[in-house]
Amino acid sequence: MAVVLCARELTRHYEVSRGLFKGHALVRALNGVSFELEAGKTLAVVGESGCGKSTLARALTLIEEPSSGSLQIAGTEVKGASKVERKQLRRDVQMVFQSPYASLNPRQKIGDQLAEPLLINTSLSKAERREKVQKMMEQVGLRPEHYQRYPHMFSGGQRQRIALARAMMLQPKVLVADEPTSALDVSIQAQVLNLFMDLQKEFNTAYVFISHNLAVVRHVADQVLVMYLGRPAEMGPKEDIYEKPLHPYTQALLSATPAIHPDPLKPKIRIAGELPNPLNPPDGCAFHKRCPYATERCAKEVPAFRQVGTRQVACHYAEQFL
Amino acid sequence: MSLLQINNLNVRFGDANAVPVVDGLDLAVDAGEILAIVGESGSGKSVTMMALMGLIDAPGRITADTLSFDGTDMLKLSGRQRRKVVGKDIAMVFQDPMTALNPSYTVGFQIEEVLRQHLGLKGKAARQRALELLKKVEIPAAESRLDAYPHQLSGGMSQRVAIAMAIAGEPKLLIADEPTTALDVTIQAQIMELLVNLQKERNMALILITHDLAVVAETARRVCVMYAGQAVEVGQVPELFDVPAHPYSEALLAAIPEHSIGAERLATLPGIVPGRYDRPDGCLLSPRCPYVQDNCRHQRPPLDPQAHSLVRCFYPLNQEVA
Amino acid sequence: MTSPIPKSVTPASPVDRSLLYPSPYKEFWHAFSRNKGAVMGLAFMCLVVFCALFAPWVAPHDPSEQYRDFLLTPPVWLEGGTWQFILGTDELGRDLLSRLIQGARLSLLIGLSSVVMSLIPGILLGLLAGFFPHLLGPSIMRLMDVMLALPSLLLAVAIVAILGPGLINTVIAIAIVSLPSYVRLTRAAVMGELNRDYVTAARLAGAGLPRLMFVTVLPNCMAPLIVQATLSFSSAILDAAALGFLGLGVQPPTPEWGTMLASARDYIERAWWVVSLPGLTILLSVLAINLMGDGLRDALDPKLKNAA
Repeated sequence: MAVVLCARELTRHYEVSRGLFKGHALVRALNGVSFELEAGKTLAVVGESGCGKSTLARALTLIEEPSSGSLQIAGTEVKGASKVERKQLRRDVQMVFQSPYASLNPRQKIGDQLAEPLLINTSLSKAERREKVQKMMEQVGLRPEHYQRYPHMFSGGQRQRIALARAMMLQPKVLVADEPTSALDVSIQAQVLNLFMDLQKEFNTAYVFISHNLAVVRHVADQVLVMYLGRPAEMGPKEDIYEKPLHPYTQALLSATPAIHPDPLKPKIRIAGELPNPLNPPDGCAFHKRCPYATERCAKEVPAFRQVGTRQVACHYAEQFL
Repeated sequence: MSLLQINNLNVRFGDANAVPVVDGLDLAVDAGEILAIVGESGSGKSVTMMALMGLIDAPGRITADTLSFDGTDMLKLSGRQRRKVVGKDIAMVFQDPMTALNPSYTVGFQIEEVLRQHLGLKGKAARQRALELLKKVEIPAAESRLDAYPHQLSGGMSQRVAIAMAIAGEPKLLIADEPTTALDVTIQAQIMELLVNLQKERNMALILITHDLAVVAETARRVCVMYAGQAVEVGQVPELFDVPAHPYSEALLAAIPEHSIGAERLATLPGIVPGRYDRPDGCLLSPRCPYVQDNCRHQRPPLDPQAHSLVRCFYPLNQEVA
Repeated sequence: MTSPIPKSVTPASPVDRSLLYPSPYKEFWHAFSRNKGAVMGLAFMCLVVFCALFAPWVAPHDPSEQYRDFLLTPPVWLEGGTWQFILGTDELGRDLLSRLIQGARLSLLIGLSSVVMSLIPGILLGLLAGFFPHLLGPSIMRLMDVMLALPSLLLAVAIVAILGPGLINTVIAIAIVSLPSYVRLTRAAVMGELNRDYVTAARLAGAGLPRLMFVTVLPNCMAPLIVQATLSFSSAILDAAALGFLGLGVQPPTPEWGTMLASARDYIERAWWVVSLPGLTILLSVLAINLMGDGLRDALDPKLKNAA
């Protein structure tokens, strides 16, 4: 299977001014993320607020340039790409956003919004564009009459379908979905997730699925990447991670996720405290202040993201949990 | 005698012929009990509680056979009398902690305001009590947080402050409207544990409004499932999830990713919740119900007791299971 | 657990709610017409527009014809009035009603052209300031700040003093004076919209700068601009009247409401109608436009919020 997305040590720093008299602080929003993604597969990026997943999304969709590291989409290196290459890259990666209410232009008919990517990037005639749009609308479960309607006339679930249709109009190689179903009800979420999977099969698109909902992730992902404070904590095949999480943070996340039929054998891990201030990250392992297994080494040495069995973990004592 | 007794509650926006947002709801909550109200958007779950608290303004109209709290008829209260009860004996915690607190006043001021209004505490006594409350909700460095402004607190902290304000009046009933939806998973677990501990300690009744069935499974004892303004099933917690009697409860459970581990698609109900223009004459679920029969479309089923629960269905499921 | 739930994706709602929505224009009219004041304002302005368009046919007399025998005739309801001159005549024997009707043309012309002359550059500058907040934004906004620091009427007077009195120069002066508010409004609206997901989505679709500016963002900023345009229409009329009163605007004998006020200054005691009636017309027009502007804001703003 072809690798369509290849990230190496993606890093993104921001300079933040702290007022008139204090100097600038450096926020390391993204700190060395690497992965490979094949066509037709899904990588789920999991983490809580402040973990850097939104920054990652912006870097992958070329909205922001990473401070360092390399990103290859369909074999083309992003840094130093020529104008022609950039145009092609633009077509190869698209995004679906979290809020169904903010991601559609309120003043444009949805038919026009769906046709816009074709208008900008292809030389199809108006009739050809319209035909393609109608076809896509049918695929996502919209009716032909909806072409003339404005976004505020649709429900949240329908808007996400429109947003997904728009993202798929150019048949991108990579789709970044930033919490696409978090704002939807459970039954609508199920409909939209099914649509996601159907379209992936049809177009063989690679998905980067960002979510904090571990139940949804378990359903859609092939690989899972858990992030904490801008760094990768654990990455590996879905079932391995869910069956036997090696990183204490992954364990805590899974334990904190409520379940209808909770497994009485699994111990409840409750971590105290909150995410550390990104302007002032702790020394050593970013998680050590909240980790129930932390030692002196954890407070001093940043753990390397290394191979342990079928996956990669950033913990000094990962082998303990095997 | 129940602490809270609601019979035949109707809430309409508009004239007497307008479509009801809450349609003939019956609910009872005993002292010290945890009841969860589950439903998707448009089910009327939040509006029910707002009606109880008297937070519905014209053109909303509330009618009910009984709406009594602790023996007091809430419908007959004047504004002043209601203000004595709401905030003191009945308290509410809302979904978005960032907007639930007034950004222009310190945390300490806001808690002291509640204490002043409902318990008559002033000055040093109020400040002392506010400090105790902050410690009770497990805010670290509570002394310094008293003078903090809401924007200086994280989401989890703000929600703890909101809970402190809610329990300041020593309420008999605490209503939590989606208290953890806007929070991260690990913080969610902390807050839910806090709520349950507080409830046990003070023997408060707790009404938990949520769309997350998993949270309900881990927290509540009784659950009321609402659909399009009506209660469709009311039952005990493990039983309702193991053997749901109403088709909508079954569909909700089936749509959760947890129930489709390993499956290709998530089970879904076609269609969406009926709105203003397409409210069915018969059972409200009939256009979407997979088990629908002829008479379902023409008659409204009443809420009847079945083996494990009260069910609003002519053909309840899973009744042969003892 | 039995699972006869059909595995279809299509939402089969029996009545598709989105088709029951009226068109945006009907929705707007419905919201606008709920405000009675706004509707009355609209009705009055329609009357004014009608007079302006059909002035030569509607006016009973030629506005510049002087009836020497009928100097300072009172309006018809006072003693000495006559139905020939319903609102009386001015100091040169010209029919007041005809001059007011003709004056409507000029006032509307001044209002419309000054609004258009300041709206278009204002929107462009605001867009540039919003899209390039570090490069162009500061210089544009400082210029606007300087313009706003000067009292608008004095600035208009200064401009007319430099350019010379007359209709066109009046319009230019008023346009320059109302420019900063459009720039500020547009820039604020643009900066608010730029953070929204749909703009990012348009960028991802490959939209270039012109498309982003005019097709994606600008239509979403129009609501406050439309309201501001309506309100500055009325202040344009007032400014033109003020300039005319000072003798700097439109020159006599052209019938313009403000100049009519100015030339009748001396007759306040003897023939109050020569002063009051033009003043009343200005008052009613400005009031009507402001009421319309309120109605527009109420009708357009909720839409803006709902769409969010």
